[in-house]
Amino acid sequence: MATPRQMLEPEPLITGHHDDGTLNKTLLQFIWNKAGRGWFALLFVGLAGTGLLSAAVAVTIAKGIGTWGNNIPIGWAFGITNFVWWIGIGHAGTLISAVLLLFQQKWRTSINRFAEAMTLFAVMQAGLFPVLHTGRPWFALYWLFPYPSTNHIWPQFKSPLMWDVFAVSTYFITSLLFWYLGLIPDLASLRDSSTSKRARIVYGVFALGWRGSARHWHHYKIAYLLLAGLATPLVLSVHTIVSWDFAVSILPGWHTTVFPPYFVAGAVFSGFAMVLTLIIPARKFMGFKHVVTLRHLDAMSRVLLCTGLIVAYGYLMEHFAAWYSGNEFESHVFFSSRPHGQFWWAYYLQMFCNVAVPQVFWFRRARKNIAVLWIGSVLVNVGMWFERFNIIVTSLQQDFIPSNWATFSPTWVDLSLYVGTICFFGTLFLLFLKFIPAIALSEVKEIRHEMHSAEPMTELEGAKP
Amino acid sequence: MPPLKLPVFQDSAPAEGDGDRPWRSLGEKASRPEPSRELGEQAPPLEASRRSVLQMLGASAAFATMAGCFKPPDEKILPYTKQPPEVTPGIPSHYATSSTLDGRATGLLVTSNEGRPTKIDGSPEHSSSGGGAGVLEQAALLSLYDPQRSKVFKYKSQPRSMHDFLAATAANGKSLQQTAGAGLRFLMEPSSSPLLLRMRERVLERYPKAKFVTWSAIPLQRIHDGGVLAFGAPYDTRLDLSKASVVCSLDADLLSAMPGTIAQMRQWAEKRDPENPMGRLYAVETNLTVTGMNADHRLRMKPSQVEHFGLALLGRLAQRVPALAQYAPLASKYELDAAQSRFANALAKDLVKAGKGALVAAGPRQPAMLHAAAHAINAALQSDCAKLAKPVLHDTDAGPRALLSLTQEMRAGAVDTLVITAWNPVYGAPFDLNFGKALSQVKSSVYRSLYEDETSTRAGWTLPALHPLETWGDARAHDGTVSFVQPLIAPLYGGMTEVEVLASFLGEGDRTTYTQLRDYWRTKSPDAFEMTWEKWLADGFIDGTATEAETPAVKHDAILAEANKARAAASGVEINIVPDYKVWDGRFANNAWLQELPDPVTKTTWENHARISPAFAAKLGVENGDLVDLGLRGPPAQGPVVIEPGHADDCVTVAMGYGRSGPGEELAKGLGFDTATLRHSDTPWMDTGLTVVVTGGKSPIAQTQEHHSMEGRLIAVSTTLARLPKAKERLEEERGVPLTYHQPVAYPGHRWGMTIDLGKCTGCNACMVACQSENNISVTGKDGVIRSREMHWIRVDRYFTGDENDPGVVFQPLMCVHCESAPCEYVCPVNATVHSDEGLNEMVYNRCVGTRYCSNNCPYKVRRFNFFNYTGNFSETEKMVFNPDVTVRSRGVMEKCTYCVQRIERMRITTRVQERAMRDGDVVTACQQACPSTAIVFGDLNDETSKVSKLAREERRYDLLHELGTRPRTGYLARVMNPNPELA
Amino acid sequence: MSEPVKGLKRFVLGEFITPEACVDAARKLRVSGVQGLDAYSPYPLHGIDEALELPRSKVPLVALICGVGGAASGYLMQWWMNAVNYPINVGNRPMHGFWTNIPITFECGILGAVLSIFFGSVFGFFGLPKPYHPVFESERFRTASLDRFWISAETDSDENVPGLEESFRQVGAHKIHTVVENV
Repeated sequence: MATPRQMLEPEPLITGHHDDGTLNKTLLQFIWNKAGRGWFALLFVGLAGTGLLSAAVAVTIAKGIGTWGNNIPIGWAFGITNFVWWIGIGHAGTLISAVLLLFQQKWRTSINRFAEAMTLFAVMQAGLFPVLHTGRPWFALYWLFPYPSTNHIWPQFKSPLMWDVFAVSTYFITSLLFWYLGLIPDLASLRDSSTSKRARIVYGVFALGWRGSARHWHHYKIAYLLLAGLATPLVLSVHTIVSWDFAVSILPGWHTTVFPPYFVAGAVFSGFAMVLTLIIPARKFMGFKHVVTLRHLDAMSRVLLCTGLIVAYGYLMEHFAAWYSGNEFESHVFFSSRPHGQFWWAYYLQMFCNVAVPQVFWFRRARKNIAVLWIGSVLVNVGMWFERFNIIVTSLQQDFIPSNWATFSPTWVDLSLYVGTICFFGTLFLLFLKFIPAIALSEVKEIRHEMHSAEPMTELEGAKP
Repeated sequence: MPPLKLPVFQDSAPAEGDGDRPWRSLGEKASRPEPSRELGEQAPPLEASRRSVLQMLGASAAFATMAGCFKPPDEKILPYTKQPPEVTPGIPSHYATSSTLDGRATGLLVTSNEGRPTKIDGSPEHSSSGGGAGVLEQAALLSLYDPQRSKVFKYKSQPRSMHDFLAATAANGKSLQQTAGAGLRFLMEPSSSPLLLRMRERVLERYPKAKFVTWSAIPLQRIHDGGVLAFGAPYDTRLDLSKASVVCSLDADLLSAMPGTIAQMRQWAEKRDPENPMGRLYAVETNLTVTGMNADHRLRMKPSQVEHFGLALLGRLAQRVPALAQYAPLASKYELDAAQSRFANALAKDLVKAGKGALVAAGPRQPAMLHAAAHAINAALQSDCAKLAKPVLHDTDAGPRALLSLTQEMRAGAVDTLVITAWNPVYGAPFDLNFGKALSQVKSSVYRSLYEDETSTRAGWTLPALHPLETWGDARAHDGTVSFVQPLIAPLYGGMTEVEVLASFLGEGDRTTYTQLRDYWRTKSPDAFEMTWEKWLADGFIDGTATEAETPAVKHDAILAEANKARAAASGVEINIVPDYKVWDGRFANNAWLQELPDPVTKTTWENHARISPAFAAKLGVENGDLVDLGLRGPPAQGPVVIEPGHADDCVTVAMGYGRSGPGEELAKGLGFDTATLRHSDTPWMDTGLTVVVTGGKSPIAQTQEHHSMEGRLIAVSTTLARLPKAKERLEEERGVPLTYHQPVAYPGHRWGMTIDLGKCTGCNACMVACQSENNISVTGKDGVIRSREMHWIRVDRYFTGDENDPGVVFQPLMCVHCESAPCEYVCPVNATVHSDEGLNEMVYNRCVGTRYCSNNCPYKVRRFNFFNYTGNFSETEKMVFNPDVTVRSRGVMEKCTYCVQRIERMRITTRVQERAMRDGDVVTACQQACPSTAIVFGDLNDETSKVSKLAREERRYDLLHELGTRPRTGYLARVMNPNPELA
Repeated sequence: MSEPVKGLKRFVLGEFITPEACVDAARKLRVSGVQGLDAYSPYPLHGIDEALELPRSKVPLVALICGVGGAASGYLMQWWMNAVNYPINVGNRPMHGFWTNIPITFECGILGAVLSIFFGSVFGFFGLPKPYHPVFESERFRTASLDRFWISAETDSDENVPGLEESFRQVGAHKIHTVVENV
């Protein structure tokens, strides 16, 4: 029976009695144990999908963008939709680590590594599309970078696509370094807790010879904090710039000042949804329940609700501006082609998933219910994909001059690329779970230590069977 | 000409024995000895040299394309070191020639680069063109280089040499002479060629009992029958729309840029300028035609009712025009419903008011009766717009009637030798004739055609025809002007002309068309022939050979008698078969440019459809793409439905020329469906009793425009003469420099710009073909169009307004408008689309990586993207069609209208050489040059006196999507209609 | 271990069970004048900086310099490339578009700072990668990254070793090892 104190207290961040040693064991066991059947089954699926992806990529490069569903006027479709979707997902990771670190949110520690990995892998997927979707990827690969070429032409920096190139590459590099810096001490723990010589050498190499010296920790803390401080505006800037890919144009449905905040919120929204989608099964099958507790899930679902509301506001503003401006082209997009056009169902699906679904998280019972949480998070991911699809395709579909208007239908290549990247992402994630501590070990120990010194009582009570 | 080159031709003779494919090179032999013969005739060196050198140039290009068929030496027939002065590499030369369709010539001006024709335009001096060119004339260029053309003489589909054929014909000729050619029949294209007429006479001298039959699937026969009925003799009606103030078209497609209408369109354009007295056009028709879409008033009715209406109109005019008084009873005999009657009354009144400026024109598909009625009216009103003249065609009876009697003879076995030079009668002949079967019964048959088609499979001898650009010949234009056909290139694959086929029956198989032609015309001007000949060829026609206009007496009694014959009131569903705007009767079906070209009315490509009215569609419960079976006294034809606003109810319109199955025509095969089973010799165009069965199947429609309403936006502006002042006020807000944050860039030098007069544009598509040819634009195929990836740089948007049953229609040609502050430019990450210092929005193909952002951000969506490598698999022959001045785009790059920058630069060079400034009219864009109705004007906006800047200053001018502040260089002039207040 | 050679570094290592003990010991040792002290822990210890009197970290300074440098070069690049070296009329927009240069300038600034922070600390301040360090001579020392806390004192002569071991014992080290740099 629960004591009054427990009722007042929030769920502890680490449940059960642990010291650093047991934390080591429980958190690293998944790495040291033999991989189970489930893991291999999933890996197989992932690899199969990755195969499909490479096939689709090969066809695209060999035959051309014609193998996609794109046309004139719909110059962008699945490719850019997937790009924005993946980039969006890629935002939660850094945001969780950085922002929550700055705000001293203790609960971040047990999910940040996980989220950062997700960021990296998501950005990798995203990075595929801007290159693939061009007509001549073999040039796009390097002509967008400012290098002194023999034809003496420089890139054109007024184009949002150039901003994109810089933003996304900066974001990837930053996330990678931020992630790796956080990883070094844990790699050292792996090196030192390894039993086989091979593991010791391999992890030793990646640990770079970290020995936890106080003189290093001294710089490490400030460096890590600074990276977090820089990553935070970066996250905001990246999706702002992604939104400018559209907002800077003159196309009705794209040409909107509300885009930057609403895209950033959408990115965090979808990012947190994806973290939930991944971590809920992970904590179950990898035995992280004691560090990724209901309290974490609860906190994340609150973020989901909050960002969901911002996104909803974005939708509202789009429609309001279209109506209030009295611009016939704008209002056609928002009141005719989206709700009644070829993809009307996508429009309503988007509204349901992104506006209606998050509202359940007003209720404590829903936030505590793992199943509801997971389904909710998956729906949000679906909704966010369709949001981007609607913004891109339906806006292009019916623009200024009606004789341009056309329909769109994806090809098998479009679908394979999308499914393929999901599988590739999954594959990378499985490997990450298997070979790298998915929970920031040193930080958890730090937390445990703080809790330990803060309130020994809870520890003892928690220790009761 | 350096004679030393000639032996080269003989040198190549041994090559003709060349192993693996002897027949082809033997065929070549026949086509190439010409030049040597020329010299044989002591032609003055200059003349002979220019021609033969050109041919050799062509030959060299051709040989280059036929790797493996010739020995290497042939390829150096033309070292550029020994250029005759007028053929300079890189400098195109222009030659006047003409092309004939259904016997009548259109004057052409062909551009030739290094001896290969690359562009066809109208000849400015020629009465049939005035500089404009129709869709078919221009696209013929692509057929020249079509690798699917028939290349080989065959007997019973076994390859033979041309000599075998000549030998066989000679032998056959002997036996025929025994019977004075009783069993000898020639089935020929309608023709106006003086030379051909002479050849025919000579053949008949040799084979007195032989007969010449003329066949065309789209004959002018009914016009001539009308003449017979009205005047007792066949007549051509020569229209002059520039004098017409009220025109009534009874199913006459006067403005379609089809054969014979180009000159008319130029004339009509003069009557569409609100500053001058405007003409008024009434159209009475079944399906929407280009003319109907441009009419101030249009009345739709079942095909059978048009004649009915015409007679009713005659009756109504009787009350107003004394000369027609006797027709008064017709008014009551042919009753009209309220709407029709209101229309007819207003029309009658208007016609009378117009007097000499009145014109009633009946379409060639309409029965003789209607033509006679039109003649009666025009004569009674003493119309200046319709002049009568003796037919230019040798045979006025070129329709099913003539073919029927021939077929009967064939069945009866009375024909033992049939020589067919008419286009594909097996495909085109009415269903009930079953001409194909009859043909296979003929003992010895010869068929000459450009492709191996349906007829080739049933004929004994099949001979490759020569393309008009490969042959010599002559013909008369619609007004009788004698025009010459000159080769611009030596035959790519050998073959025979019609003249040579006839010659082979005169034992002159070794004499070429060239010699025949010169011999014939020498008799016409024996003294100083060479000089005259020079001038004729240079002009491309003989001045002042137009036939005299006549004013024969109208036989009113005969007409009235015919009119009084009882006519069955129209009932039931009717079929309405029309010539196709793109493939005509099917002879252009293998031409990719034309297949991809959208139909001016339905905007569909690559096939024909069952076109029906919205109401009828609702009645049948079908929508676009639903497959229906059309049955009429024969097996059903199946095709997809296309709903056509403004189409008459309870009838189905189908275009001819599709559903081809010829073995040679790979491209045309299987596109659309054949109308043969719906055509019968008694009713080749329209008939009642059609059954329409909805099959439940579906087939996607390849349409270049999927949305047909302007959604109430100010896009293609059309107004009426009455509302013009208000419209002008409104349009003031739609032009000029809007409030902008950026300092507009100054353009001190030239400021290239364009105006498009929507009032003059008839939507005929001539500009699209011109652009495709000038700018090496790719064809994407049916799938490409279905996926909306067509590449046309200029497109003609067609919008319907108002009631979908009787819609107004407005056209708007749209290509890159070269915005001064172009939205496409600032979003390009690699500087691949930038602005020139003369204000052209330039595309740098080599720099483009294909992000397609420029297209997304283009509010006009005039940019086109190479989704695949469309030209990658082109054969060497096909590559010859390319304009060397324009880059052929590779996969993955964006492209769009360049304002024909290559023409601007070429003119810049020319004027620099001449040490003068560019003048107005120096630079003419391809679309402008082709436009038959002079709707497009290009020039320098900085030049106050230039035509374009004058037009740009007009109050009718507006900028498309002006509110976006793109400041386009292309301005539009609002269309002004001239409706009859009575009908408004 | 083999007989130590003169001139090589010796490390006296003391293991502690709890972080508090470790920090406390470190302070005592420093006060008692022991030189070359360092501490090792699986996670940063509170108060160890003061205990060892570590100077203020230079990382922020480096970050600031490189960040500003990155931003400046980012802006200059755009200005030079679009307005100076390759000026061309692009959609009637100004050659030198201040507003449109901002995003890339910002990204370049961030990139500069981030790169300097990471590589500056890893290579510069940490002196990593360092696959070998004498403290690794002790197998027991592996716990330093897991659940134990260590203090090391560095010396280069054998004479000092016993004294140091003694002082470690006094501050309550749970285990004491002495390792010698290996060549």
